[in-house]
Amino acid sequence: MLWYKVWQESRTRFAIAVVVLAGFCLLATLVHRKLGPLGSGGVTSRIHDLIYSGTAKGTFAVLSIFLGLGGLVRERARRTLTFTLALPVTRLQLIRTQIGVGLLQLALLSLIPVSLLPPLSQLVHEPFPLSNTLHYSLLWFVCSSFIFAVAYLLSAIFEGEYTAAVLCYILLMLQALLASWRPLRPYRLNLMWTMAEASRMPWNRLLMLALLTAAVFALAAWRTQKQDF
Amino acid sequence: MLWYKAWRESQARFLLSGGTIAGLCVAFVVFHRESALVADHAQTYAEYIWRIVYKGYLRELFVLLALLLGVGGLLRERDYGTAPFTLALPVSRWRLIVVRAAVGIFEVTILSFLPAVVLPTLSPLVGEVYPWSQAWQFGLLWSIGGAFLFAIGFFASIFFAGEYTAAVVAVLAMLTYSVAVEFPVVERYVPDVHDLMSGVGRPYFRPDTYRLMGPLPWTTLGGLLFLVGSSFVLAARLTERQDF
Repeated sequence: MLWYKVWQESRTRFAIAVVVLAGFCLLATLVHRKLGPLGSGGVTSRIHDLIYSGTAKGTFAVLSIFLGLGGLVRERARRTLTFTLALPVTRLQLIRTQIGVGLLQLALLSLIPVSLLPPLSQLVHEPFPLSNTLHYSLLWFVCSSFIFAVAYLLSAIFEGEYTAAVLCYILLMLQALLASWRPLRPYRLNLMWTMAEASRMPWNRLLMLALLTAAVFALAAWRTQKQDF
Repeated sequence: MLWYKAWRESQARFLLSGGTIAGLCVAFVVFHRESALVADHAQTYAEYIWRIVYKGYLRELFVLLALLLGVGGLLRERDYGTAPFTLALPVSRWRLIVVRAAVGIFEVTILSFLPAVVLPTLSPLVGEVYPWSQAWQFGLLWSIGGAFLFAIGFFASIFFAGEYTAAVVAVLAMLTYSVAVEFPVVERYVPDVHDLMSGVGRPYFRPDTYRLMGPLPWTTLGGLLFLVGSSFVLAARLTERQDF
């Protein structure tokens, strides 16, 4: 029942995200010629430029912020909090469910290019390898989970409807700026770079990000449990 | 009173946005010598400012902030249960919409001109000069481009009541627009607001000096303002017919 409640709250955002990512996959494969002449890399390079290193990646990052928003503080503003808190479940269970549904949605969104790009690229006779799409999907999932976690934490702190979203986007831009500082550049801390890492899987960075994500979720849970509603 | 109400609703977003834009402008000027640590090649001060403020990070930040300032309004109030109080005020729905739009446009304009005030003021303190005329011209381009983006968010919140739905739709509408104007066919007829704001590939921008030269595209700017105004009128008309 809790899972259904959380799903109901975020399903519109999720559905829009599905449509948009699917649209990008269609654009990069079937309609790409309208975007101008192809470079030497062909459709593969167009897919990389538009999806994995371009607009679709940025869109996915922004959508992760919006999927992460919500939580009990927002319910207080909508005056539904007393009903939620009156449910025979602990706050921790509520939080766990919100995080679980969010991560599941992110995983499904990350897998959209996996399910669409290989068959669609076959249609234009320039196959895009499945292994490549899986590689990027893992990167997208881990990085977007971190963005989701930060948005979730911020919406557990700030009550204003869009305050957490604005702050999370600002933080995303600041980390990109900081990561481009030359002394820090070798560490490739920019999440956007990690999401587009083509050469090899950066396991260490992914592990660090996963640990950080867990820590941010723990902080959000602690904050929510301590809150006086 | 209506103005104060509209201001209160967007205050947190606006102050957060203003603080960030101003703070980043200060940081960009103060740490400009560190630009060598960020850039791939040696840059003049004008190029550095253009790349980091008017074309790069700050513009991308401004685009989303302007869009998010536009969301909100009566449909969201219905969700909070405050719509009946607002609608019971002795003012027309038309006036509610106009005031909210005016406050939003005012906020976007202030955000647009923040770099125009901070950059030329602080540059002499670090031994550099950034012309006021350049900064104010970019400020004007940003304010009209920002008004267009604000209108997208504003219009989305007339149709979508769900929490964050209007914001997500507005972001996606903006992205769709950004991708659409990349198509050569569309590019010929529809102005690219992003390029308009940064000057990229525009006759009024000199890429060798990274400065605005010659007259601004007044026709395009006027057309955009007309579009923004029309969208507010349409939003007011639609709100008048909505059943709360």
